[in-house]
Amino acid sequence: MFSRTALSRGTQLAARGQASSKLAQRRGYAAAASAPSSFIYDTTDVAGVKVATRDSHGPTTKLAIVAKAGTRYQPAPGLTAALEEFAFKNTEKRSALRITRESELLGGQLTAYHTREALVLEASFLREDIPYFTELLAEVISQTKYTTYEFNEDVERVLQIKQARLAANVAALALDSAHSVAFHTGLGAPLYPSPSTPLKGYVDEHKVASFAESVYAKSNIALVGDGATTTALSKWTEQFFKSVPASAASVNSASTTYYGGESRTAHKGGNSLVIAFPGSSFGTFKPEVAVLSALLGGQSNVKWAPGFTLLSKIAAANPGAVASATNLAYSDAGLFTIQISGAAGAVRATSQEAVKALKAIAEGTVSKEDLTKAVAKAKFDALAGSESGINTLLAAGSGLVHTGKPFQIAETITSIEGVTADKLKAAAKALVDGKASVAAVGDLHALPYAEELGLKV
Amino acid sequence: MSAYPSLAPFVAKRPWLRSFLKPVANWYANAAGYRQLGLRADDLITEECEDTLKALKRLSPQEAYDRVYRIRRAMQCSVSHQLLPQEQWTKAEEDVPYLVPLIEQIKAEAKEKEDLDALTIVKNH
Repeated sequence: MFSRTALSRGTQLAARGQASSKLAQRRGYAAAASAPSSFIYDTTDVAGVKVATRDSHGPTTKLAIVAKAGTRYQPAPGLTAALEEFAFKNTEKRSALRITRESELLGGQLTAYHTREALVLEASFLREDIPYFTELLAEVISQTKYTTYEFNEDVERVLQIKQARLAANVAALALDSAHSVAFHTGLGAPLYPSPSTPLKGYVDEHKVASFAESVYAKSNIALVGDGATTTALSKWTEQFFKSVPASAASVNSASTTYYGGESRTAHKGGNSLVIAFPGSSFGTFKPEVAVLSALLGGQSNVKWAPGFTLLSKIAAANPGAVASATNLAYSDAGLFTIQISGAAGAVRATSQEAVKALKAIAEGTVSKEDLTKAVAKAKFDALAGSESGINTLLAAGSGLVHTGKPFQIAETITSIEGVTADKLKAAAKALVDGKASVAAVGDLHALPYAEELGLKV
Repeated sequence: MSAYPSLAPFVAKRPWLRSFLKPVANWYANAAGYRQLGLRADDLITEECEDTLKALKRLSPQEAYDRVYRIRRAMQCSVSHQLLPQEQWTKAEEDVPYLVPLIEQIKAEAKEKEDLDALTIVKNH
């Protein structure tokens, strides 16, 4: 027999069609005038540790320690990556194997990753296990042993595998060299050391241990809980974070300057071109850049069609290339990037078209309809990004450690709504007239110079 | 922990027994003859075993070099049927375990893994 719902669903829908359309008209579209309160992180200071929590009353919790220890703050190349690998290794109290097995038994997942600014140790688990994982995270940052044999047998081996993987990834290499010409030191440091980076003398277990000592301190970390109540997390933090040292030794924290320039690297594994401009940072959010990146876009929102975004239309006209525009936001600087990857010829044609499109925006040729679509897309991206996922933990945590209050992506949507055609034109003009950062990796015979694209470097 | 039953922990716990047996132990170690070849007791541990091989890899470069030097010197003495000059004999205070702690650590790791593999979960609610 067919189930009742399966049989009658179509007819029910047909019968209700008229009524429901009226209902929808009467109600209007759901309007997210401001961010819902469940998106906002509450911050407290528990015994010197900055804690941010947000409770959506779900069955699972994500708890993360966000430390100001990204590649920007590392005193020597490779230290952040090595410290990341040392997460959840042997501690004074228990072995790495025991940590893994115990969290498996509780159904938890442990991950460690780093960005240019933050090193994140993250645990996802069932709501009732919060005491166990709070204790574990505190133990990992304060009592890891950093033994020589683990460095030789595990950490260094994995580092080399990851370096080899990076060497084949032209898109990541191009993004790294765009950062390095844009910011030189600090944010310009590569996210992962390439295989040709000399690490000897810079990275060993003693250097990693002293780096850990300088960054894993209460003043330098934030504890972010997504799906945990403030009371519960405060209680356990107070109990377990006693052993974490109070203040950090000074980390390299020079403010970022944008330089701009061009870098070209020959590579056999593919072609990637990054055109970058100073973008919007967490500290000073520029809504025009958010709208500009939504307008240039790259990823289609509809099936079987390039969609409205300019880059996806250009890429569709030049088969063989993929283009996308993103704003990479950091605490005191941002990088608005257009990345084009694919076959060398197609990358060349697409990049020329992309710069033409950007210049056209700077001359104010964007249709009103496209602008509306772009504003809506930018708003959606901001809200969807703050709904769940690693972005929210990362943004809240890096905000806390850098400025003392979390960056709430969702709060930016009101300013996005205020972007007009004139503002967008002015912002695009400032980018095109300013210095660009152009990084080409791949077949240099075919990939264009910044000068050919009509950009100043 | 060790593979064979040993009275050593029993003796070590009782200072009077320890001080009584220590000269006997020293006499035995000297009589064994390895100290006259400049070796330490841990140099005699058989290498053809997974745990020992792993422990050897975990030695610091200096310790590993010294170990190879002692073994080669002893080989040379053995080939030429000679003992080292007496001032080069291993002294009792130099004859410290440097490899056994590592082997014990590796065995403890393996045992912990075995125990965790064989664990049964009891829910106390």
